[in-house]
Amino acid sequence: MWQMVGRRETGRLPPHKFRALLQKTRLYSIELAGHKEIASAHKSGVNSLQQIDATEARYLLSGAADGSVAVYDIEQATAYDHSTRTSKHEALFMVDKRVLNGHLYSVSCVHWYPIDTGIFVTGSFDNFVNVWDTNTTQVELQFNMSKKVYSLSMSTLATTHMLIATGTDDTRIRLCDIASGAFTHTLSGHRDSVWVVQWSTRSEWVLVSGGCDGAIRFWDIRRAGCYQILDQQCSQIGRRPPVLKKSSRTHGREDNLCTKYLNASSPIRQRGQKRSFGISAVDSRTAHYGSVAGLQMTADGLHMISAGTDSRLRLWDVESGCNTLVNYPSTYIRGNKGIQMAVTPDSSLVFTPSLNAILVYDVWSGHSYSSLRGHYDQVNCCAFHPQGQELYTGSNDRKILVWAPRRPIDIDNFDYEDAEQAIKADEDAWSD
Amino acid sequence: MMKKRDLKSLYSWAGSIVASSTPKKTEKRAKREQSATSEVESLAQDSHQGSYEKEDGFTVPSDTAVALRMIHGQFPKIDKVSVPPFVLISQVYSIVKDRTLVDRELEVMKQDKDVRVFKLSTGQDDFAIMFFDDYVSQVNAIKSRLDGKHPSEDLVIFDWYINHILPIHMDAGITDFHLESILSGVGHQIQERHISLLIKAGLLVRQLAHERSYWLAIPNIGSLLKSLSQGRKELLSLLNRRQYKEVLLSILEKKKLRMSQLDMRFHVRDLLGSGQLFLSHTPAGILVRIPRD
Repeated sequence: MWQMVGRRETGRLPPHKFRALLQKTRLYSIELAGHKEIASAHKSGVNSLQQIDATEARYLLSGAADGSVAVYDIEQATAYDHSTRTSKHEALFMVDKRVLNGHLYSVSCVHWYPIDTGIFVTGSFDNFVNVWDTNTTQVELQFNMSKKVYSLSMSTLATTHMLIATGTDDTRIRLCDIASGAFTHTLSGHRDSVWVVQWSTRSEWVLVSGGCDGAIRFWDIRRAGCYQILDQQCSQIGRRPPVLKKSSRTHGREDNLCTKYLNASSPIRQRGQKRSFGISAVDSRTAHYGSVAGLQMTADGLHMISAGTDSRLRLWDVESGCNTLVNYPSTYIRGNKGIQMAVTPDSSLVFTPSLNAILVYDVWSGHSYSSLRGHYDQVNCCAFHPQGQELYTGSNDRKILVWAPRRPIDIDNFDYEDAEQAIKADEDAWSD
Repeated sequence: MMKKRDLKSLYSWAGSIVASSTPKKTEKRAKREQSATSEVESLAQDSHQGSYEKEDGFTVPSDTAVALRMIHGQFPKIDKVSVPPFVLISQVYSIVKDRTLVDRELEVMKQDKDVRVFKLSTGQDDFAIMFFDDYVSQVNAIKSRLDGKHPSEDLVIFDWYINHILPIHMDAGITDFHLESILSGVGHQIQERHISLLIKAGLLVRQLAHERSYWLAIPNIGSLLKSLSQGRKELLSLLNRRQYKEVLLSILEKKKLRMSQLDMRFHVRDLLGSGQLFLSHTPAGILVRIPRD
């Protein structure tokens, strides 16, 4: 570490590299945080979902299986425990079925309004999507989807629309508009319930959805029908080669494989990409052998990781729609609802809940770095805090755990009186 | 850059790995060693496929190709059924540590039509890899077996299968629509009786989930699939019954599985690759154990 600082000082290490290396070493040493604790306000419930707001990265929203929703401030602690030196963060407020129009059954998904934290949206198994005002903690708007709501998402890039995409037990995806209070779009094409929906991080018009039938579909809401279905058989070796032929010669062995593949296999790529006139309704291409349980786009929107109940994670190249064949070993994903994964903002690590642990993988090589164990029951969701490099996870054991990089012992607050007492106790009369 | 001298040592290393496995009787060992080393030397002929370095006309085979050849050579001999040797992908994962590399090299070998990958019905993740030539010879054997019983215009479907469908369609499954479109592209008309003949021969198996779509399959594999699933269960129960759920590999290799025609080494490799068993090195030898979590 000090060698790295010395190299930065003499100029041998450029500043952005220094920062990246430092962040990387911190990330890879993530473990259960000793200095921070979130006191979960949920009683007899399961933590279904969490979301850290995009604007201030300060408030954590969580939904539980008894219909309660709570908000925590993760910057400012409510209490500080001196003996164990942990800061405790309690819920700022909690709403449950006692509030007018509150959720009666399990809350399956929560989402902050992308612009500010004055509004948040929740979806639940009682067939309703509620839009809440944070300051008054009342339900402002309610949408009745006639089936269980599994997932909802709002686009963080949107400047022209305020649509909530909801994935329900119904095979149709309906988009709700906060501005008008009505349903604006109905996207049909899935053949079974839709478990995950995500807006693209590259375009405000593109929605990705994954269903119980194992298909992942891309929808452009300005057009009718989906324009791409991901097929697990359509694959490419690694990342796509650069467009210019002369720059491909300077790349290594792996890209030679890629170009070789591309030359030999154009019929397969064509079959996987029907861009011309929409896709037939009976298209049965699947991205997973089971249902799609989780979707996570990388921050640049060029790649996407999908998790399926066949216990597989796949990395997809969004532009070409191909499976990049990265193998993430030994995941175990089963269940009857979606899970939520987290990817670091520089797309280097992916955190996946798998039974009682969270598995940490390198995104590009599939190498498994560690498994974070701390929960007593099945983990449902993870949320990554980019500034603090912390991971928040919620599970069926009603707890929200904080995972942070290893902290050095705090020397400034070292308790000198305790240390002196310890030294005094050690002094005995055996010397001279 | 590897020189010729290093290639010879590579082959002899691969041969020594094959030879150092512990078969039970000495005369069978000599026979098996011979066949295995001949398999390894056949790497020289087709090592230009599935490889990524070219030098002096000698090419180094990829890790996956070497592992495939090695396991292929160690396939147990089965009487009563004539199935050419196949390799499970979990066995390849147990040998080559980097799974992403295995997936990618396997994809390249599939494109080069060296191997064919089939989805087995024993589990969600079970894939069998068979060399292309072995599969083609198996299809021809079936065709000659059904020769007397069906008219020849029906049997021509086997030729169409080998010449048109297999080279173009790389997936493990196929739909009616695809079959029709591929064959009409070369001017042949496929009919219901052709499809039912393929199903009877065991080359196509109906998919339960979707109508009109099929899995491509290895013929005569039914009894082996039963052996596979029962052998796995037996091996896991053997370990689970013990107090600490572990046993030395040398002791395990001497046991014979009652319910499976495939040998112990096949099952151990398969379970290692699928993550249900772990190996650890101890001063007493290699230990096979079931992980606690």
